[in-house]
Amino acid sequence: MAVVATLSVAGLLVAAVGGLVIGPTSIATSRVVGDVFAHVGIGHSTLTSLQSTIIWQLRAPRMALGLLAGAMLAVAGATYQGVFRNPLADPYLLGVAAGAGLGATFAIVNLSGGLSTPSWTPLLAFVGAMAAVVTTWLIGGRSMRSSAATLILAGVAVSSLLTSAQTFLQQQSTGSIARVYIWLLGSLASASWHSVWMVVPYVVVCVAVCVGAGRALDVMSVGEDESRSLGLSVRRVRFVVIAASSLGTAAVVSAVGLIGFVGIIVPHIVRLLVGTSYRRILPISVVFGAAFLVIADTVARTVMAPSELPLGVVTALVGAPVFVVILSLRRPVAV
Amino acid sequence: MSQVELRELSVNAGSKVLVSKVSLAVEAGTWCTVIGPNGAGKTSLVEAVAGLRRPSHGSVHIGGSEIGSMGERERARSVALVPQHPVVPAGMSVYDYVALGRLAYHGLFRSPGAGDKRVIESVFERLALSDFRNRDVATLSGGERQRMVLARAFVQSTMVIVLDEPITGLDLRHQMELLELLKGEVDACGLTVIATLHDLTLAGQFADRLVLLDRGEVVLDGPSHEVVRSDELASRYAMNLRVIDVDGADVVVPVRHGGPSGTSNALRGEAVTGATRWPIS
Repeated sequence: MAVVATLSVAGLLVAAVGGLVIGPTSIATSRVVGDVFAHVGIGHSTLTSLQSTIIWQLRAPRMALGLLAGAMLAVAGATYQGVFRNPLADPYLLGVAAGAGLGATFAIVNLSGGLSTPSWTPLLAFVGAMAAVVTTWLIGGRSMRSSAATLILAGVAVSSLLTSAQTFLQQQSTGSIARVYIWLLGSLASASWHSVWMVVPYVVVCVAVCVGAGRALDVMSVGEDESRSLGLSVRRVRFVVIAASSLGTAAVVSAVGLIGFVGIIVPHIVRLLVGTSYRRILPISVVFGAAFLVIADTVARTVMAPSELPLGVVTALVGAPVFVVILSLRRPVAV
Repeated sequence: MSQVELRELSVNAGSKVLVSKVSLAVEAGTWCTVIGPNGAGKTSLVEAVAGLRRPSHGSVHIGGSEIGSMGERERARSVALVPQHPVVPAGMSVYDYVALGRLAYHGLFRSPGAGDKRVIESVFERLALSDFRNRDVATLSGGERQRMVLARAFVQSTMVIVLDEPITGLDLRHQMELLELLKGEVDACGLTVIATLHDLTLAGQFADRLVLLDRGEVVLDGPSHEVVRSDELASRYAMNLRVIDVDGADVVVPVRHGGPSGTSNALRGEAVTGATRWPIS
């Protein structure tokens, strides 16, 4: 556990520095690191003002947003897998993705007027995501006897409905299809400090709540009835965990679009490395998810520079082989 | 004051009545086993006693307090459950599994304290589980697994323990072992046991009191030796039953309808030396 934690934090630092250093404009690592220290009052910067702008206005907010999104999606995926006791659960299970997709598509198709008005897209994506989860909860999670399976099925129904509405909207406006498509695949390209500060409060609070739910999720691994007989308020835990995961995911998705794969693959990789206790899986997923997404984004924006690969494609391309290797080396998956 | 009291308890599932107006008072330190044919409502009844099912009518009281008015943690400190099919979370160690039983004491945001650990260690010792503490729960045999589930219930330190068919799937030796462990705890700590069992012989030997449930209603309730010898028992199970006294223990033997043709007399119990037969039907 300690080894994995240390390696994860080291990996996170390497990923963060890589996110700042690597890019089409070549800037020496030592000068970038020197500039970072200069910002906290140690030494002085040797970067030109153009280089400083590239680092602090382009790469740094992008790296920061990647850290936040990766951490949130990974920990939300892990908590969903725990609370539903389902290895296939991911943060989009209850309709967040479909709701955000519909909201974003509506904004892009109807409110942009041919020109991009970025402020509407994240707002409507966020509203759509939260409306979808709340609807799912009202259908499948309210009654005392409702089970996790009912909630999952309600999520499937809500997602299907909203996805069909989103597809309809998209088909009605062929001129916007490309932009809708790019949004759906997820990207950190439009990251700015503004978007980072918009997301920070949600991610900090929601990640803290999710990580704090580790012991509750460990108890829930014995099923709902047994958890209740052990003194756990299953309904309350489920509500709090789903609310925090969904809110954080909605905030992240509204800023970066639908980045897939992180929420399902990172918790499984972490589980294979540290075992099945959520008290270990959750904090390590935060670090691992953050590092993973920043590395994936660095790959996405460099391998075909100056054009970019969709981030969702890279997360799958990088994540799937890593996952397969670890899976073949370790024991079978248990949730 | 009774340790467990059911007042006109009814449990419905939709329009189907599973348990109908059952009133029962069980004194502290008593082992009460609920018997009855499949579908009699035994599991629904014990789930209601454990607080997992909300009564449609009536109430369940543990130590004088109504279970429906207790918080989750208070309830877990009052009554522990050994379910019929416990979930075994692969990857968890036996120690961590048993330690879950202390959740109601240390809560969600604190680790088990010194007091909790003392209780856990004591139960590990009493149930001879120390050698398994670091084993993955998924690697245990059926008997070891049930002992582990029993240990989790014991560390809840409740005065009442509810067991739903705790010996399902165990061989004879492990069935006896598990019930003896439980009996030891009843005798040593004054634990009150509400259990369901299909094996009438074991039910009769271990319980102080048997309650025969059929179609959700109590049809017989009394000391074990009286209930197992009752004519009502065979008629409710709709079969021939004989009770043989073997060294003072009532052994309930099912006999094929029309007599055991083609079987030896010994199987009919007629040649069992020194045995008293209680013809039931």
